[in-house]
Amino acid sequence: MKIEDISKKTGQLVRIEPEDLMPLPYPYDDPANDPVMKEVTQDQKDRYEASLDGILAIGIPKPASREEEERLVRQFLSGLEKLLSQENNWTFLQPLLHSLDYCVKCQICNDSCPAYIASGKKEIYRPTYRPEILRRIINKYIKKRGGLLSRLTGSDIELNWTLVARLAELAYRCTICRKCAQVCPLGVDNGLISHEIRKIFSQEMGIAPRELHEMGTVQQLKAGSSTGITPKALGNIVEFMEEELEEKTGKKIKIPVDKEGADILLIHNAGEFLSWPENTEAFAIIFDAAGISWTLASDLVGYDAVNYGVWYDDIQLARIAVKHAEIARKLKVKKINVGECGHAHKAMIVVADRVLTGELNVPRESAIPILADLVLRDRIRLDPGRNDFPVTLHDPCNMVRLMGIVEPQRQILRKICLQFREMEPRGVDNYCCGGGSGFAIMQSMNFPDWRSAVSGRIKLKQVLDAFRDVISPDIRKYVCAPCSNCKGQFRDLFNYYNVNEKCGIFYGGLVELVVNAMVDVEKPFIDWEWH
Amino acid sequence: MNVFLAILTYFSYIFIVAAYGAKIVKYLRLPTHLRWELYPVIHEEKYQYGGSYYEHLDWWTRVRTKNHARGIAYLLKEYFILGDYLKNYASYWLALYPWHIGFILIITFHILCFFGALAMVLGVNVSAGSPDASGSVLYYAILLTGVISFVTGAIGSAGLFIKRMLDRNLRVYASLLTFFIYIFTLVVFVSGFYSWYFVDPDLAEYREFWVGLITLHFIHVEPATAAHIVLFDLFLIYLPFTRSLHYVTRFFVFFLIRWDDEPNVRGSELEKRLLDLFDQKTTWSAPHIHTGKKWSEQ
Repeated sequence: MKIEDISKKTGQLVRIEPEDLMPLPYPYDDPANDPVMKEVTQDQKDRYEASLDGILAIGIPKPASREEEERLVRQFLSGLEKLLSQENNWTFLQPLLHSLDYCVKCQICNDSCPAYIASGKKEIYRPTYRPEILRRIINKYIKKRGGLLSRLTGSDIELNWTLVARLAELAYRCTICRKCAQVCPLGVDNGLISHEIRKIFSQEMGIAPRELHEMGTVQQLKAGSSTGITPKALGNIVEFMEEELEEKTGKKIKIPVDKEGADILLIHNAGEFLSWPENTEAFAIIFDAAGISWTLASDLVGYDAVNYGVWYDDIQLARIAVKHAEIARKLKVKKINVGECGHAHKAMIVVADRVLTGELNVPRESAIPILADLVLRDRIRLDPGRNDFPVTLHDPCNMVRLMGIVEPQRQILRKICLQFREMEPRGVDNYCCGGGSGFAIMQSMNFPDWRSAVSGRIKLKQVLDAFRDVISPDIRKYVCAPCSNCKGQFRDLFNYYNVNEKCGIFYGGLVELVVNAMVDVEKPFIDWEWH
Repeated sequence: MNVFLAILTYFSYIFIVAAYGAKIVKYLRLPTHLRWELYPVIHEEKYQYGGSYYEHLDWWTRVRTKNHARGIAYLLKEYFILGDYLKNYASYWLALYPWHIGFILIITFHILCFFGALAMVLGVNVSAGSPDASGSVLYYAILLTGVISFVTGAIGSAGLFIKRMLDRNLRVYASLLTFFIYIFTLVVFVSGFYSWYFVDPDLAEYREFWVGLITLHFIHVEPATAAHIVLFDLFLIYLPFTRSLHYVTRFFVFFLIRWDDEPNVRGSELEKRLLDLFDQKTTWSAPHIHTGKKWSEQ
């Protein structure tokens, strides 16, 4: 397959066959038993642009006419020009230009890409493929290099709607885990280029996966949370959690909401409230036991740490980050603590650091160091014997490789889990769970199958390898994933491969393990119920 | 011919300095960007496992120290070893390494030629049996860097040409120009080797040519030497049109992007720069964006 084939109207560019996929260890070592990825229906093919790899992440409706196609191509070019301008893209121009100008195509990054490796090295998933397409479009249509020079530099490409539609989908086949960037000796960041391509589509053309934009950032800013939880619904959820806490601990634990002047404003990924309330409850148990002054916020956006803008749209990113900071100021808290959500860590603490100025620059930190402090300094009473089962740790890319929080979570696990074992590679060299950059919440058509079978495949292999000596389903095992989106991905990945039933592997957060080890909590906190 | 060689040489050196300089200035003038670092960040205290200051409770209350020397040492080591390639792509490294060493040494060789010529103008005898120690050091340094660069550069150029041709992984994104560069550099290095081996084994003529450039008394050189000079000059002129500036930008990109973990502090210089950037108008035109308004008004 040649690079310029992306413009050719030849039907589906790439087909993913089960036998191409990277082999998995026992009990998934027979490819014939691999679940079959759903194909898009003929009706979906007729309505949406599915000619890249037959997978639909965005589901771009087919333009009604040739004029419409041409208009969209012009819009794309206009967005590309803006992406290369200081006033429109000061946010990432310097790193972008470096990555566009200095890649020598040595392909050293290839083997670090989970999607490329797991797919059996499909050309379109090669980390250098997207950037090369973008580079060629820029050379030919922005810098107007053509003719002989174009042929000599191998930069010929035809910009048409087929290419634009495929490129939009292709930007959502990279989890932006940036493992490829980490191994590049020249500092080229192909993950960033996926991010920047997404921005053209969102910020200029209004094209983005529905789960990230309409149901994501737009809904969060309007209704308060990307989950749809409103401030009123939050009140009900808090009541429900307090009741559950009493049932589980026998104690009346108050979850403070909008407590002015608290030391900590704790912001969770609101997905926790709906899918894993035990995580938010565990925080309440720990903070209550340690006598920490903390609060949740009930203002719009203030109870949902997510900021999907970090994956596809700088302006949405900034709007949400400002909201978080304004709420912290209003409550006069000393600092914001981000719960177990990797991308919220990265967005709120790191990327938005240069968005929040003056009074909005409220101190922000991860909840992991405070948990480590409480555990390591024995501020809560713990019995590691209660966690006498195999545990491994998944490193969320956003929190670890992109932020450098590596050891505190390990210190906690070493202290409270008798059978803690690492997966390999680990720490800053980890592999993405396969649900990064929004994938975990994207449920469009057959995309969930792709992220289980392809982008999450290496992570599944890592987990199985970590537990290979105890793989029997009779032995309960725990993958600790201190990140909501990673947990969402593990849930779907393990469901897809029936991992819980076949191997007895369960997933959950870090605080659940801490509370499970707490002497003052009589009943085991982890119930091993699959959900 | 003498004058032509001299003018071409002056021009090529001025051109490469100006072209590289302009590119570097342009790059450095780009606006401050949002943070996008990757760990390990080498100047951090916990760089060995990739830890950051965010591992500390109330990190903003701690005094942060940065070990920039470690970053510089890391990058310099990478320049001379190309350890990332050795670790992750050894077969490519086998060709890439001699090529890079060829470049580094041929540049060193020319710098030494200039200083050797300068020493000669100042009356130092630059030769193997020079009574002046500096003269014999310069003589051997010039000879060794020159010859080693010609040999390693030629091996690397040929090696990379073959590697790119045979390795599908590398060939797939290679262009005609990629192969042209390998052939061109091969010719440059081989011409240097030929000139040294067959015409100028002490590189005395080469030093004399440089003396002429300094004193403006341009000398006649043998055709083989002249050919190498022309080819090397053309190589210098061509370099700014390639990705070769990564030798320099690599420093910037590591310090300004990959390792840029500088937090924004109220009232800081960084904050002032950011406030100026927020004042710019944006023309993104998707429906959810207030087109034409400032970033701060979004």
